[in-house]
Amino acid sequence: MTVRGVPQAVISDAVVVDRVSMVFNEGKSNEVEALTDVELVICPGDFVSLIGPSGCGKSTLLRLIASLLSPTSGSVLVNGKSASQARIEQDYGMAFQKSGLFEWRTVEKNIELPLELKGWGKAKRRERSAEMLELVKLSEFASHMPWELSGGMQQRVAIARALAAHPPLLLMDEPFGALDEMTREHMQAELLRICAASQTTVVFVTHSIPEAVYLSNRVVVMSPRPGRITEIIDVDLGSDRDEDTREEAGFYGKITAVREALRGAEAVAGPRGIEDR
Amino acid sequence: MTLGKVFRAVAPPVVFGIIFLGTWELIVKVFDIKPFLLPAPSAIWAEFIDRSDDILDATLVTGANALIGLLFGVAFGIAMSFVLMRFQVANELVTPLAVALNAIPIIVLVPVFNNMFSSTTEVPRRLMVTLIVFFIVMVNVAKGLRQVSPTHLELLRSYAASPGSILVKARIPNAVPYLFTALKIAAPAAVITAFVAEYFGGRQNGLGYSITSNAAASRNAASWAYVIGACTLGLIFYLAAVGLEKATSPSQRSTTQQSGALTPGGVSV
Repeated sequence: MTVRGVPQAVISDAVVVDRVSMVFNEGKSNEVEALTDVELVICPGDFVSLIGPSGCGKSTLLRLIASLLSPTSGSVLVNGKSASQARIEQDYGMAFQKSGLFEWRTVEKNIELPLELKGWGKAKRRERSAEMLELVKLSEFASHMPWELSGGMQQRVAIARALAAHPPLLLMDEPFGALDEMTREHMQAELLRICAASQTTVVFVTHSIPEAVYLSNRVVVMSPRPGRITEIIDVDLGSDRDEDTREEAGFYGKITAVREALRGAEAVAGPRGIEDR
Repeated sequence: MTLGKVFRAVAPPVVFGIIFLGTWELIVKVFDIKPFLLPAPSAIWAEFIDRSDDILDATLVTGANALIGLLFGVAFGIAMSFVLMRFQVANELVTPLAVALNAIPIIVLVPVFNNMFSSTTEVPRRLMVTLIVFFIVMVNVAKGLRQVSPTHLELLRSYAASPGSILVKARIPNAVPYLFTALKIAAPAAVITAFVAEYFGGRQNGLGYSITSNAAASRNAASWAYVIGACTLGLIFYLAAVGLEKATSPSQRSTTQQSGALTPGGVSV
């Protein structure tokens, strides 16, 4: 298998999703076909967004990569290992729409949690959490409790926690979905900066077209019933994106491309949905 | 808390209490109400001073029963809550039972306990307190152990955390506020139970017995004097539970958020 002409011996893929199908409640009356025959290869350093309407299986796909779910058929490789092995070795960090900070732990203790579970010593943990806090620019809040922070700050702590063990892969499920528009744009810029600094591959689930285009170098468009990938759009806006990027013609062009892909996906799904009845 | 804040918090109930007692005293005096109907606060206070040694002894007896029952009830309740967390079947069996038991006045079991165990010991009363506290603690703590945020669970699974780690890192810390809620309910309930259990016979040394026996002898002022002891005991238990919560979890959301103070480390409130 080759990726962009580079043999596998030289470059190992960050994520390989191979003919994966996912059926919930198989054989029961409430059976749901969440994903059908999904194939996706993500290269190291990629920022890939999964976008699509509710029920298209984008969160399910993310959880399959995270090995929080097991596929009904097909296989998922992360860092060249099975997804479950990658989970055991903490090869990825994860962030959700809810920051999921532990309210009885200070900010730095929250960031240290994955390291505690890895069995790191206290001094090493403290050193790493200080480094991560510097990365997300929250150093002066190290000993604060989570609820003393704003929503955007909490989400930055959650990202710092996800990256604390320096995993090569970051999985994010609508992490900025609960933030207001201004904070959201600020967080997007911060995320790009952080990922560039830490050289992390990202798989990012979102509902927002501008968010997907601004962040990603590839946007994966999905459609529901059954969940599948309908189109993958390359976004070549360069790696040094800033606030001005949002006003470039190329940015708007890609937003239009993704929107049309989403409409196309719905046009395909629509009649099928009707036929099924 | 500044002195001004303390004053503003304490002043209204104190002023109300003074007015209430003053009105009571006045009504008794003006309408010349007989002491066997309603004794004046001054008469009750005089009895309280007069009998302070006896009242202290009785309070210690009832207080010891409440405390010992409370400790055993908390210990058994916490232990059982882990069983309920671990085994869904146990949860489905025991929780509805506990709820049903809460709806019936199980204090009526005291005479049964008095027969089962020698009524010349404090065992039946302490057992009754243990039983009441046990259910309050078990139901609440089991809830705290089970109702962990789904995001926390998913996060810990993404770290490949073992069930033991999930217990230590998420379930137990999550259950701590539930335990304190249970304690705040259970502590006064323990006093009430210890006290009411004495109404059903047994040894004649506690507050409950003293109140009934004095009331039966129409020594109303003396009865009321023992009621002061009972009130104090209940308050002490409740305040101890609240104090314990403040001391062990100074950074809990509930305490600091109310005061609105943004304090580094959330240690000082």
